Amino acid sequence: MQQEIDPLKVLSGDMLYIAPEIALTVLGLLVLIYDFAVVRKRPSAERQSRLAWLTLFGVVATFAIQLVMMLPQDWGGFDTANLYFPLFSGTIASDGTSSWMNLTVIGLLGLIVIMSMSWSFTEHWGEYFALLCWAGVGMMFLIASEELLTLFLTLETMTLCLYMVTAFEKTRRRSAEAGLKYFVYGSVSSALFLFGLSLIYGLTGTTRLDAIRFALVSQGGSTGLSGNVAGAMAVLLVLVGFGFKIAAVPFHQWAPDAYEGAPAPVTAWVATGSKIASFVALLKVLGGALGPWAMKGTDVTSHGWIGLVAVISAVTMTYGNFAALAQKNLKRMLAYSSIAHAGYMLVGVLAASVSANQASSTAPVLFYLVVYSLTTVGAFSVAAWLVRDKGTDQIEDLNGLGRRSPLLAVCIVLLMLSLIGMPPLAGFFGKLYMFMESLNAGDKGRLPLTWLVFLGLFNSVVSAFYYVRVLKAMYLREPSGTPLAKAGPTIAIPIVAATVAAVAFGLYPAPLLDAMRHASLTRPGPNTRVGTQADPNWTPAHAAAEQIRKRAEAEANGIRMVPMGGGSAPKAKASPKGETTPPKAPRESGQPKAKQDRESK
Amino acid sequence: MSKTDIPLNWFLYFAAASFCIGLFGVLVRRNAIAVLMAIEIMLNAANINFIAFWRYGPYSVNEGPLTGVMMAIFVITIAAAEVAVGIGLILLCYRRWKAADVDRYDSMAG
Repeated sequence: MQQEIDPLKVLSGDMLYIAPEIALTVLGLLVLIYDFAVVRKRPSAERQSRLAWLTLFGVVATFAIQLVMMLPQDWGGFDTANLYFPLFSGTIASDGTSSWMNLTVIGLLGLIVIMSMSWSFTEHWGEYFALLCWAGVGMMFLIASEELLTLFLTLETMTLCLYMVTAFEKTRRRSAEAGLKYFVYGSVSSALFLFGLSLIYGLTGTTRLDAIRFALVSQGGSTGLSGNVAGAMAVLLVLVGFGFKIAAVPFHQWAPDAYEGAPAPVTAWVATGSKIASFVALLKVLGGALGPWAMKGTDVTSHGWIGLVAVISAVTMTYGNFAALAQKNLKRMLAYSSIAHAGYMLVGVLAASVSANQASSTAPVLFYLVVYSLTTVGAFSVAAWLVRDKGTDQIEDLNGLGRRSPLLAVCIVLLMLSLIGMPPLAGFFGKLYMFMESLNAGDKGRLPLTWLVFLGLFNSVVSAFYYVRVLKAMYLREPSGTPLAKAGPTIAIPIVAATVAAVAFGLYPAPLLDAMRHASLTRPGPNTRVGTQADPNWTPAHAAAEQIRKRAEAEANGIRMVPMGGGSAPKAKASPKGETTPPKAPRESGQPKAKQDRESK
Repeated sequence: MSKTDIPLNWFLYFAAASFCIGLFGVLVRRNAIAVLMAIEIMLNAANINFIAFWRYGPYSVNEGPLTGVMMAIFVITIAAAEVAVGIGLILLCYRRWKAADVDRYDSMAG
């Protein structure tokens, strides 16, 4: 069946799948135009609230678009929560992981916009809200990226916007300092990262993540890194790049300063959104593309990046927790706590790569990411409250809050307990699932990883000491100086929303975990052979041609345009939940051989 | 590849050397503008790698995909954006400290 294919039509079909990103981009532009054209002459406070409301409205609309896309196909959505759609010749993909994480990112952005209304820290509100949105666009594309160029481009989109908003607090000198420090560390790490990417490109001849994986597999399967100097260098540089973005020791120096200096809503955005996006990209690059370099066979102790990441993880969580013990500034303490959490999540990344339960092995770390970011946004809005009323953000400024505002104090208690990982709150289940997953490794991996899990548990105990200091200040200390004013909805909403999430996902974690399992299943598991191109002559151009051909066939058959091709998409949707093969995709041709390969191992 | 071509290795040595020079500059220079320049050198070193790997890669230069070239073009664009943001932030700090020395910006520590 030969027929003319209109590339523009195919592209516009793909555009539908990135509708939330487009909506957020347009929202940023609208906010700028509205600021310059309509509210420019108004007083700053009025501009702030009008622009914030406009942004909030847009973010809610974007959230709705993302939700609609995730609906099952007979309800009018694309079912992106359960299907894998390669878009734009496979440079980005829409799948369960990206749709759930996008939803989380948009939700967080909403909370952060609400938090931004609480006090006036700049005059440039139009630019501020636009940059927040565009950073969100960068995060969403980073989560969806399937190719090194897209990955680097979106990583930079995200961080460039964040550098600027970090320096937005005009009334304080330290905000500019924080912005510059974040910029210098961040751009050096991007340069290192890029050099690592160039080495990967040189070693594999491609920039597509699945093709990189295929190239490495065909160069000798799971070989680890022993004797491969160029490969080790590439992994090291890529790890440095990601290490900076997720604030892992020893690349964490920017984090405490940037977190302390930035306005609280921006800090929350840096600590949650950019961490989610970077971790998902880390899972894709290390676990997915560079998976064959993880270790030799199933031996965790062999040369490979598993060992390196394990060391980074151990050092990160220990250093983060012990450094947090000494902090008196709430934002700085939360910065070190977020470093520590990055350490825990690296255990989750390891777990995803070594687990025998491969198809859904990224689920625990995704679960943890969602829970961590929600609780962290709540914690940072406490910092926003302090800055608004006292001008500082020391922990001792919380003194006596338990009596002044009992309801919110209880919420803060619950948030802190969830961050410690106390049952039955969500933070506990996040850690539980991650640590359990890492114990799912084969016989050779269990012992070293047990030590890591043990260290993680020990660190959770240490972390209790500094989180409890917040509780001690609220309940046991007498208030001093001017008391905190009433929180008001802009502070209370993020705190309450975070608390509700921490409690709800704690008492009833099954739905979220199920969603994350599903998200994890829609993409080829990091350590499975499924999803690699078994055809050695395969190039990105082939994939694009295949996709275009299938879609044209579908249209010729009178079926609504679905990139999956033909009538296969509705069938894939009806497949049972636990099925491990990813839904229909151009990659499918590679699967039968890939499966044999896995069985023979 | 004709025999008169410069071998791939030489490009890689050159890129690695300029990358190290850039990294050294970032670590040693104290002037914020000089740090920015050093970062640019590092990005360009990566670009040289991309172009060299593309030129000596498995595909014919005239027909195959232009992956390496595309990477380089986009990286140049990103580098320009990065410089714009960087200069903006440096100016902001310069107005407050009256200095472009990165060691002076140390109001936060711990």
